[in-house]
Amino acid sequence: MTRYLRLFGLQFRTSVLLALQYRFDFFIDAAIGLFWTATAVVPLFVVYGDASRPGIPGWSFGESLVVVACFITLQAVLDGAINPGLQAVIDHIRKGTLDFVLLKPADAQFLVSTSRFQLWRVSGLIQAAIVFGLAFRQLDRLPSVFGVLSASLLLGVATLLLYSLWILIISAAFIVVKVDNLTYLFTSIFDAARWPSSVFRGPVKFFFTFVIPLAVMTTYPAEALLGRLELQTLGFAIAGSLTFAGVARAVWLQSIAHYSSAGG
Amino acid sequence: MIRIRGLQKHYRVHKRPPGVKAALKSLFKRDYEWVKAVDGIDFDVAAGERVGFLGPNGAGKTTTLKMASGLLYPTAGEVTVGGHVPQRRETEFLKKIMLVMGQKQQLLWDLPPSETFELNRAIYDVPRADFNRRLKELSELLELGELVSKPTRQLSLGERMKCELAAALVHGPKVLFLDEPTIGLDVSMQVAMRDFIRKYNEEYGATLILTSHYMDDVTALCPRVVVIDKGVLSFDGKLEELVKRVRPEKRLTLRFSAPVPREQVAELGTVVKHDHAESVLQVPHDGVNTAVARALATLPVVDLNVENPPLEEVMSELFARSRAEREVAA
Amino acid sequence: MRPFAAFRALPTLLKIGFAEAVAYRAEMLVWVFATTMPLIMMMLWTSVAAAAPVVGTGGQQWGSGAFVAYFLAVFIVRQLISAWASWEINFEVRQGQLAMRLLRPMHPIISYAMSNLAYMPLRALVTVPVVAVLLATQSGHVATDWRVWLLWLVSMFGAWLITFFVNVAVGSLAFFLESSIKIMDVWLALFFVFSGYLFPLDLFPPWLRATTEWLPFRYQIALPVELMTGKLGLEEGLGLVARQYGWAALLIFLSLTLWRSGVKRFQAYGG
Repeated sequence: MTRYLRLFGLQFRTSVLLALQYRFDFFIDAAIGLFWTATAVVPLFVVYGDASRPGIPGWSFGESLVVVACFITLQAVLDGAINPGLQAVIDHIRKGTLDFVLLKPADAQFLVSTSRFQLWRVSGLIQAAIVFGLAFRQLDRLPSVFGVLSASLLLGVATLLLYSLWILIISAAFIVVKVDNLTYLFTSIFDAARWPSSVFRGPVKFFFTFVIPLAVMTTYPAEALLGRLELQTLGFAIAGSLTFAGVARAVWLQSIAHYSSAGG
Repeated sequence: MIRIRGLQKHYRVHKRPPGVKAALKSLFKRDYEWVKAVDGIDFDVAAGERVGFLGPNGAGKTTTLKMASGLLYPTAGEVTVGGHVPQRRETEFLKKIMLVMGQKQQLLWDLPPSETFELNRAIYDVPRADFNRRLKELSELLELGELVSKPTRQLSLGERMKCELAAALVHGPKVLFLDEPTIGLDVSMQVAMRDFIRKYNEEYGATLILTSHYMDDVTALCPRVVVIDKGVLSFDGKLEELVKRVRPEKRLTLRFSAPVPREQVAELGTVVKHDHAESVLQVPHDGVNTAVARALATLPVVDLNVENPPLEEVMSELFARSRAEREVAA
Repeated sequence: MRPFAAFRALPTLLKIGFAEAVAYRAEMLVWVFATTMPLIMMMLWTSVAAAAPVVGTGGQQWGSGAFVAYFLAVFIVRQLISAWASWEINFEVRQGQLAMRLLRPMHPIISYAMSNLAYMPLRALVTVPVVAVLLATQSGHVATDWRVWLLWLVSMFGAWLITFFVNVAVGSLAFFLESSIKIMDVWLALFFVFSGYLFPLDLFPPWLRATTEWLPFRYQIALPVELMTGKLGLEEGLGLVARQYGWAALLIFLSLTLWRSGVKRFQAYGG
């Protein structure tokens, strides 16, 4: 265990060095993040434009902003910690250097998922904090302590879910040859998480709750913060996500075995 | 055909020291240094000539070729190719030349090479009849056969390089810059490539400059060599002249029918290798005849062979020497 | 280069570009599937309009059907005006692969443009089911005047010109800046907000709506979409198409200037 902590520390140090080398990237990333935050917030202003517009059923303007803030938080996590690793694996597969990773005497999943971080994306968390602030000012109340705790827990669960999805995508990448666009596909599907899940109906709702659980990722934490998530749902979300993560790990081990036996 | 005068190329590069502390420091202040990739060289190449352009890694070979093909502006000096200034990148000029880089490719990765040939036909505006005739010749010379209709990604490195060359030649360039054209190829493929390059040169009267890490390429192809080291020319002349100047000895290999003591062999020249049945000696050029006569007269020789030392050794000695000279000068 | 020779080469370039598009069809499908935003926005807006139609600033009523038609049209337009030259140029400049293009007696921008346009037949094929859904379910929200459709074709080409030459301009910045491709992100974010991609511009407050007329973005998406969905009359449409081509001309000029000085720099520093 300490060995893995040390390994993590070493890999992380590389990312720190890289981040320091590209000195203006912090400001560039923060500025670009502002623009993307705007693309998430501006449509809400349009949806709730003036008092005559009904808005999203069951969600007030402030409440929708809470969902957007959860979305921005997770997008920062995705861009900063998950996508860079995915890109690294895709590069490995394309260049045929994944074998070197598999040869190393440490868990391959651990090695690839900690190999790269985009540290300057923390700027996204700052922007999320601002949107959270705006939202609760709009709502004119503060979330309960229990709400904050369960929302944090759910955001953690959401990170686990994103990570598991990522593992599943890489497993697919062992089989599919053309993988260059997978990061992009992943990011663009995640884009749907920026709105309260109640806008999705029928099969789409089912898809985003159970197949790609976007609803669990942003809408549930928002509802927890707003103090209207049922305890039972919280339990289901956690249990479901853990199962999802377990399945992802199993699939990964399967496909690694398949990859190795196929001789790369 | 090619005229180079006082050609220079200097770059400014950013120094990036290792470590977290240094990285933090470079957030505020960056150090630069000047690299003199090419530092004043002159030479001419006549039409139809084959010239080997030699030098260790980072000597300025590729930089010079890029300046001659218009990809780089010289810092100072001038270069003209067939009367054109390459940097203007005029259509007439671009149609006359081609730069083949062993490590860069122009073939479309997921389509058969024939599509790239067709693309180049259109881009270079080659009349259909000329194109068909030349492609037929190239296919025969390079033994392309079925290769041209398989997607490029399915070809082996050697097959791909053959097709790269064909794609580079469908417009019949009069001047050919070849930068490591045989890199990574196996020996038989290298030989095939050399044969082809010579035939192309003879049939089309094309001028060519070749850089290569494989001295065999140069020995087989280039009667004349130009040597560049750290951006300056250290030799320009015939290949034999270079060998004679750097290593004024020939190599004498003797095989014996009975064991011969080392001391007896040493009287003939410098011993490079010796065991009971065989001996390799270095002998001065003008002393070869005497040494051979003496060996035949005094030793139980069954086989005898005289040759130049391998070019690899010549080159590494040349570079080592010029480095030592510079260090003395500095 | 003599423009005449270049002109003769175009059909071959298109033909080979099409062969390449066919070879990369799986990748292209991934890109198409990644363009789900208009469909997500369609769900958002139809749920907003479920209770009562949304009233735009021009007084137009936006019911569910109008939103469905609008966003299906957005999807179709986005597919057919796509350009990706900035990533291509950026990659080739970094890898030094651009050298191979510079050796050829053909302007690299022409070859980028042709390979881009060569994808359009396949992309059009992908949009066929969407067009079918649009016509089958929302025929009331589709333009009926054939002259409007003619103008639509002209506006689609104009929209592609803007998209492509913005790509060339940003791609050319790769000659000067290390993180030039991030500028494309900024452009994309502005594009999302101001082009009518996320919501009809009619729903903007009047002053913002008026501002968009002076920005290039609305000419990439909203203009063709509004023509398709019959929101724009012929006369108003003509005026906007004129402005669209004004933007296209400006961007062509800008990107060619940037490209030229970029190549000079490339020749100075090497690749």
